[in-house]
Amino acid sequence: MRDYLKPTLGSRVFDTANVVFMLVFCALMIYPFLNLLAISLNDGVDAARGGIYLFPRKLSFSAYELLFQNKKMLNGFMWSILRVIVGTVACLLATGLLAYLVNIRHFSGRKFMRILFFITMYFNGGFFPVYLLIVNLGLTNSFHVYWLPALFNVYFMLLISSYIQNQPDALFESARIDGAGEFRIYWKIVIPICVPVFAAVSVYLAVSHWNSWFDVVLYNPSGKFDTLQVYLRRLLLEMEGLQQIRDQQVLYNRYRDLSPLTLRAATTIVVTVPILLVYPFVQKYFIGGIMLGSVKG
Amino acid sequence: MNTWRRRIAKERQIWIMAVPMIVWVLVFSYYPMYGMIIAFQNYVPGNSFFSGDWVGFAHFERFFNSPDFSTIMRNTFAISGLNILFGLPAPLILALLLNELKNKAFKRFTQTLSYIPYFISWVVVASILFTLLGSDGLLNKLLIDFGFIREPISFLGEGKYFWGILTTSNVWKDVGFNSIIYLSALASIDREQIEAGKVDGIGRFGTVWHIYLPGIRTTIILLWILGLGGILNAGFEQQLLIGSPTTAEYSEVIDTYVYKYGVQLGYYSFAAAVNLMKAVVSVLLVISMNRIAKKFFDTSIL
Repeated sequence: MRDYLKPTLGSRVFDTANVVFMLVFCALMIYPFLNLLAISLNDGVDAARGGIYLFPRKLSFSAYELLFQNKKMLNGFMWSILRVIVGTVACLLATGLLAYLVNIRHFSGRKFMRILFFITMYFNGGFFPVYLLIVNLGLTNSFHVYWLPALFNVYFMLLISSYIQNQPDALFESARIDGAGEFRIYWKIVIPICVPVFAAVSVYLAVSHWNSWFDVVLYNPSGKFDTLQVYLRRLLLEMEGLQQIRDQQVLYNRYRDLSPLTLRAATTIVVTVPILLVYPFVQKYFIGGIMLGSVKG
Repeated sequence: MNTWRRRIAKERQIWIMAVPMIVWVLVFSYYPMYGMIIAFQNYVPGNSFFSGDWVGFAHFERFFNSPDFSTIMRNTFAISGLNILFGLPAPLILALLLNELKNKAFKRFTQTLSYIPYFISWVVVASILFTLLGSDGLLNKLLIDFGFIREPISFLGEGKYFWGILTTSNVWKDVGFNSIIYLSALASIDREQIEAGKVDGIGRFGTVWHIYLPGIRTTIILLWILGLGGILNAGFEQQLLIGSPTTAEYSEVIDTYVYKYGVQLGYYSFAAAVNLMKAVVSVLLVISMNRIAKKFFDTSIL
């Protein structure tokens, strides 16, 4: 009877091998972070000997203590958070409004605007022309370069737009009959019903703002608006790390147990942890976002 | 004319919101495209785009004739090619293997871990690489302990390792995330087909070969065509962060070259020419790949 449902030997061997493979795969995904964490919690001089894998050999919190006294790093942290908040909220509200406008049936410029924005998805000249523009506009060395050039996002416009399209039109029409203005409809009706898609989009926006570093280097060379990522990048350029440690050691005699290695590891952990903290909460939203995208595509 | 005006008046509220958007897209997306005409001039920073001397295709010729040209094209195609060669099949294989896992909780756990690298910045990846591959890093330590080498290898300092390191980190970063789309395609395959296959006794490998792969054929083709269309995008941040002057021979790609000449050295027109060349070829590639997809596979991305 039902012989075909019984797993064969080969099938069971495959299952075991597959589980083993997945365990190794998981380790590969997560180990680099664990390794950095161990190094960051280790005594600096001792860490330079190498051989720290999963656990710190000689526990020390000096790297973190120093980091959280460091003005540059705290400033970086502040600018990063400010950038994430301003950049995400601005882009979300602006792009959402755009998505709503191109969905208003009786709006004569609807198709024109759709095409106008859609073209830019495929025809964009790379970063250099935009760089020239920003320089010419005098937007360099300001906070505005973090949110203004990224105010509208065509891909997210399409995403939100397809979501709005799937809502019953009567929702907006009845509000219009009641005499509500378009912006009011957007604020009171569109935003509340779009919460799932807005959540998905904001996850992507927030992560990309948090992770950006190149535009910081490009447009804010003064260092006044350096974000956390750029601070870490400076540490990667070794010399900076050494210099900071030397300064600190002159200031506080007790930080003898620091090395560029542990400081770098600690900074990397500080840069990564916010993402890992919000990660479990946002996971369902970003997968939702991909599904929305694939429905459209 | 009159109806037109009446219409605009009726839509006044909408246009008040729409006009700033149009201004924004013209300024931040279209004007830069127009600004590319400095590729045909000797542009002096600070002047308007009209005041430069017209030099025709001189900058393009200079680029084609420069000794850098062949190196840069080689690096761009090599890095992109390796990314396509390993980066495209890897998530597909991962998705197929995840799909075979019996324990759903373990499957979810693995998936959750696999997305993490996608969400961290390249700066963090660079920091990880510096730590793992440094002269006192884990990899050297292991290689020495197991007796493969005597002296630590400077993995990040020698050009010949660069492509391998870059490809590995690209795959590591994206494999989990890119598998999502395949997994969702796999989930949409008709269960009855799979059951029928079981009854016919085609085995698990047969199920993958005859049912799963054909079932997600469209998704695979679409993603791979998209990948080929982006062959000139060999990445950019990675090279700037992980590359160093000693590896420039292998890490310099079109985009980093534009950055070097345009931003760091200030050869605006030359950099614009190189940038324009890449942009034009990229668009042509995307369009032609889309044509191919439409013609042969009846799917489209545009």
